[in-house]
Amino acid sequence: MYGGDEVSAIVIDMGSHTCKAGYAGEDAPKAVFPSSITFGTSLPFHHESLEPDFRLLDNIHSPSLGTGRTFPCHSFIYSYRATTAIGHRSSTMVVGAVDQMEVDVPDNPEKNLGSAPDSNSTVKTFESEKEKSKRKFYVLSPFKDGVIADWDIVDSILDHGFRECLLIDPKEHPMLLAEPSANNQQQRERAAELMFEKYKVPALFLAKNAVLTSFASGRATSLVVDSGGGSTTVAPVHDGYVLQKAVLTSPIGGEFLTDCLTKSLESKGIIIKPRYSFKRKEIRPGEFQRVIASDIKECVCRAPDTPYDETSYSNIPMTPYELPDGQTIEIGSDRFKTPDVLFNPSLVQTIPGMESYVETAASARGLPQMLAGGTASMQQLKERLEKDLLEESPQAARVKVLASGNATERRFSVWIGGSILASLGSFQQMWFSKAEYEEHGASYIQRKCP
Amino acid sequence: MANAASGMAVDDECKLKFHELKAKRTYRFITFKIEGQQVVVDKFGSPEESYDDFTNSLPADECRYAVFDFDFTTDENCQKSKIFFIAWSPDTSRVRMKMVYASSKDRFKRELDGIQVELQATDPSEMSFDIIKSRAL
Repeated sequence: MYGGDEVSAIVIDMGSHTCKAGYAGEDAPKAVFPSSITFGTSLPFHHESLEPDFRLLDNIHSPSLGTGRTFPCHSFIYSYRATTAIGHRSSTMVVGAVDQMEVDVPDNPEKNLGSAPDSNSTVKTFESEKEKSKRKFYVLSPFKDGVIADWDIVDSILDHGFRECLLIDPKEHPMLLAEPSANNQQQRERAAELMFEKYKVPALFLAKNAVLTSFASGRATSLVVDSGGGSTTVAPVHDGYVLQKAVLTSPIGGEFLTDCLTKSLESKGIIIKPRYSFKRKEIRPGEFQRVIASDIKECVCRAPDTPYDETSYSNIPMTPYELPDGQTIEIGSDRFKTPDVLFNPSLVQTIPGMESYVETAASARGLPQMLAGGTASMQQLKERLEKDLLEESPQAARVKVLASGNATERRFSVWIGGSILASLGSFQQMWFSKAEYEEHGASYIQRKCP
Repeated sequence: MANAASGMAVDDECKLKFHELKAKRTYRFITFKIEGQQVVVDKFGSPEESYDDFTNSLPADECRYAVFDFDFTTDENCQKSKIFFIAWSPDTSRVRMKMVYASSKDRFKRELDGIQVELQATDPSEMSFDIIKSRAL
């Protein structure tokens, strides 16, 4: 059907925090945007029944964090009108989000949105940051516990990705979607239906996140530790199959660490001023407090070599970081404490940590490990994981932690894997084509992309 | 068929040579590479060659598949041999190459009937002679 190596296939990896999309065969995704939408009205919010679902997260110990249902997001850049998604006549849906507003995803967003106010809201395509910060928004993510729960939101995000970011017509390009390792059969069929019925794609392939990462590191058998924005997933891959039952997910991801750092700094009296609150020569939209905290995390934090304890780290030298408003802050033990939450979440609260997950999944077999995902870019994380695993595994087991040395490769390993796969000449016979879909139906996806 | 398999074809020569290694024992090892859109035979090693000759024949920054016929004596003083399949993908090789080899491995291995032990290695320490010995017993 598609000859040669030059196929303009599109590869999409929708993570819980960001969605990566781009052309197959390229080194990095063309578009990286938040996988969440905001729903809001430009008139003051007045519907009481919605209030309980909408609250600021003011305490890091909030129980909602433990359930992994908090989906903070940032960088409000794009905005467009929803046509098919939520389907409410007088509503505005925006991809991107607002500063600091972390909202629990309602269990049934449709129901809540259905009762949204009958305000005569208007669509605004662009507003000043200050104005936006005053507006009230829902931030909705399609993910719940690492799997897609709301397909309407997925639809809006994909629609945005195709039409605003990649500027393509989905009818013309085969699509390779990276799916969460824990996806079940219904969800895969649902994805196939959406792609063929709504977007009328000529061909589709669903590849598991963990498999793509594992392959991109040259291994067909491995244990993949994918530490991303919204969650950390540990998935064993054997000969290109994900062992579904053994996949484990922890709600601790990069976003959670950013929260920890912010709170920790605030408790020391350091206030991070959002960029919009002071005047600058150049106004760049979409850079808020979270973003700054996230940048601090990425710049100065590193995983400690040994488990963190308050006494031994109290004397470490401070690292300076200059905030956008010019003031320089000194970050001491938080540099190490924050990443250590990944290993020992009891530093914050009692959630089972990454290590116990890793052990259960590996179940004493000498599987090589692999690190992927945005949070895995943390300095020294690889070394720490290797050391801890060696200590805790039986002597006979050989443990080898692999992680790409290149930060981009680590961050986008799933996408890059998909990109290479979809661009292979020999792969072109593997696509689940539109003709096959029409003949056999959506359930055929289980045969084509096992 | 594994998830995300590349659909790479296997040259008949691979199967023939492997059969010779297995049945006639005319080779100590065979290495395979992916060229164009199929897996083809890369190099052979005669029965006299050692394990070191074999490891030296693997390129340092390119992926390969290899089969190695390992002769050994068990604790009960019994002469035995086992056929090893090794997926060699060094850390220094390009991502594209690693991806291609890893996603084609399952299909290729199925074509070679009679492999007893399988190894994957990203650096020489993972396929040292000690590891080969411990896996054979």
